[in-house]
Amino acid sequence: MSAKQLGLVGCHECRLLSRQRRPESGQEAYCPRCGATLHLRKPNSIKRTWALLIAAFIFYIPANVLPITITTSLGSTQSDTIMSGVIYFLLHGSPEIALVIFTASIFIPICKLVVMAYLLVSVQLKSSWRPHDRTQLYRIVEGIGRWSMVDIYVVTILVALVKLGVFADIEAGPAALYFASVVVISMFAAQSFDPRLIWDAMEENHE
Amino acid sequence: MSEETPRTNHGEEIAPVADVHAKRTISMIWVVPLVALFIGGWLAYKALSEKGPTITITFESAEGLEAGKTKIKFKDVEIGQVSDIAISEDFSHVVVTAKLKKGTGPYLTDKTRFWVVRARIAAGEVSGLGTLFSGAYIGVDPQTEGKEQNHFKGLEIAPVLTETLPGRHFTLLAHDLGSLEIGTRVRYRKVTVGKVVGYRFDPDLDILKIQVFVQAPFHEKVRKETRFYNASGVDFALDPSGLRVNTDSLVSVVLGAIAFESPVSLKVSEQAPENFEFKLYPDRESTKQKEYMTKRYYLLYFEDDISGLSTEAPVNFKGIRVGHVLDFSLQYNWKKKDFQIPVLIEIEPERIEQIHVKGPTDPNKNMEFFVERGLRAQLKSANLITGQKFVDLAFHPDAPPAKVRYDEAYPVLPTLPQPLKQLMASVENIVDRLDKVPTDEIGRDVKAVLESLNNTLRKTETMFGEIHEEVLPEITQTLKTLQGSLSDIEKSYGKDSITNQELRKTLNELEEAARSIRILTEYLQRHPESLLRGKGDTE
Repeated sequence: MSAKQLGLVGCHECRLLSRQRRPESGQEAYCPRCGATLHLRKPNSIKRTWALLIAAFIFYIPANVLPITITTSLGSTQSDTIMSGVIYFLLHGSPEIALVIFTASIFIPICKLVVMAYLLVSVQLKSSWRPHDRTQLYRIVEGIGRWSMVDIYVVTILVALVKLGVFADIEAGPAALYFASVVVISMFAAQSFDPRLIWDAMEENHE
Repeated sequence: MSEETPRTNHGEEIAPVADVHAKRTISMIWVVPLVALFIGGWLAYKALSEKGPTITITFESAEGLEAGKTKIKFKDVEIGQVSDIAISEDFSHVVVTAKLKKGTGPYLTDKTRFWVVRARIAAGEVSGLGTLFSGAYIGVDPQTEGKEQNHFKGLEIAPVLTETLPGRHFTLLAHDLGSLEIGTRVRYRKVTVGKVVGYRFDPDLDILKIQVFVQAPFHEKVRKETRFYNASGVDFALDPSGLRVNTDSLVSVVLGAIAFESPVSLKVSEQAPENFEFKLYPDRESTKQKEYMTKRYYLLYFEDDISGLSTEAPVNFKGIRVGHVLDFSLQYNWKKKDFQIPVLIEIEPERIEQIHVKGPTDPNKNMEFFVERGLRAQLKSANLITGQKFVDLAFHPDAPPAKVRYDEAYPVLPTLPQPLKQLMASVENIVDRLDKVPTDEIGRDVKAVLESLNNTLRKTETMFGEIHEEVLPEITQTLKTLQGSLSDIEKSYGKDSITNQELRKTLNELEEAARSIRILTEYLQRHPESLLRGKGDTE
């Protein structure tokens, strides 16, 4: 039994449960308490999430192929991609740093994208397989999102700090932009996904 | 959709109910992946379109090179990057793989040169200082001419000239490199007009070939008789005007330089063509002397006595010195059971002016040709008295046929035995002629001459005797008669008459004359030769 089946709709903002009224054309339902727009489910959730997810996937490629930092040290310029940085730390005796960078910058973003894609597919197929776990996955993806910008923070801090002219200079490479785009877009994708859709499938199956 | 449907009286539906559902519009959200796709596609297109050729360059060592870091630069503009460094299969060199930018393809030909640019301090120039910080990079001299290729052999030494400057290359022949090196400047009237671009040793000619480049417009100043000399030294010259010191600039003295001068002559000389060969003189002074750079060595085997031959003894051809003896020794040939004397000679072919030359000639072939025509070496005496010998090269068409042998360290020229008999014969000839000289006859003639001289003297003596005996008495008689006549005259003219006096005076004079004649005759008697020679001054 869900609020939807009872003709009730929950406000996204103040969580007030109000009776659903069908809006006329050109009208919309608003929360009687806080005035937020009321939706039974997030509108166009699946489409929107797919669109953002695909965009994130596309940006993920240049984010990893292009250099993220351009280091100029005593006249020698070196551009590093995320992966080359990981390999550099791995080969130069700092596997833990390599692991951190790899996890935060390569593994987690791709995991997020894959998990989101899986959730979308499972909802579209109206799968009823382990909805608890899937909701848990969604929660993790959403929760992790805000931490995914660590890389960008590091790069921006380095760029700002290391400005020693000829001796050392770090500039953000084009990949930084694409990486930030991946993070932001995937966060939006996670936001636009409505986890209640997972459970909707369960109820339909129950009927 | 539980709303009441309007029906007809018959209960039939008037019209179907319109479906009501969400708008089937394309959500604006799809713009996001479209934009992403567009950006991604554009990036991919850019990456693909900028992909240039991948080349491999081999170097002796990869010193200073790093995969993924080392750049390939032309005129300090990055045109590529080293992507991989590997060692060749036989471990002899390294293979550098590099990715070049798009559009470099046409410049990669078999004439394109690659080299590693490192910090270098040479020939008065400090170059590549930037590489101290940035690390070495690979320099390139792109050439559009030639066959396109993607595998290159890198130069170990950076070329001096990387651009196609207008000018000309020349080759200088030198005994040794001296203080010169690649990059050493070439100067004309103390202006730097070119550089040494390379050198190599020619084992055939035993000479060092130095390649220089003279840039336009100075290359026109290089004539065929221009003389290049090493301007690194300081020339001291002591002449009547005092001590003169002649140097190029101090920089040239310290770092070395080559200078050239064209002798001023009436003849309008031709410009030297590309790669024309010049001798490199050790200093300016020696440009005025003749010197021969090319030397060829030949071995001669003599079986007879070579006493009188020394090193530095001349080797003459048709009477003109073309070389000299370098060395000789005594050998015992067990095969022939005989002694032999190998003599090493040096011939300077430049002493022989060549006319109507058709392209380069093979010196060995030339020598074979000459030997076929009868060229033989022979020991000859240069001086009969001191016994000095020289090697004479001459054509002996009647000599037994022989060939140049190449089985020794030097080509062996056929020899002829010393012309001893011939020499003896000529000596005999001289002695014979000496014998035939008529010594006796000459003696006899001399004797006859002396005798006739004696006769003449005797005759002179007799003549004077006659004068004494015959002429004098007559004179005395005449005087006596004169005296008689005078006394008569005295008698007639009186003692103190003028006639008498005058007569007396005349007589006195006559007496004096007679006395001098007597003195003369006496003198003549004592010195009859004075008749011929005259009276000596001393008496």
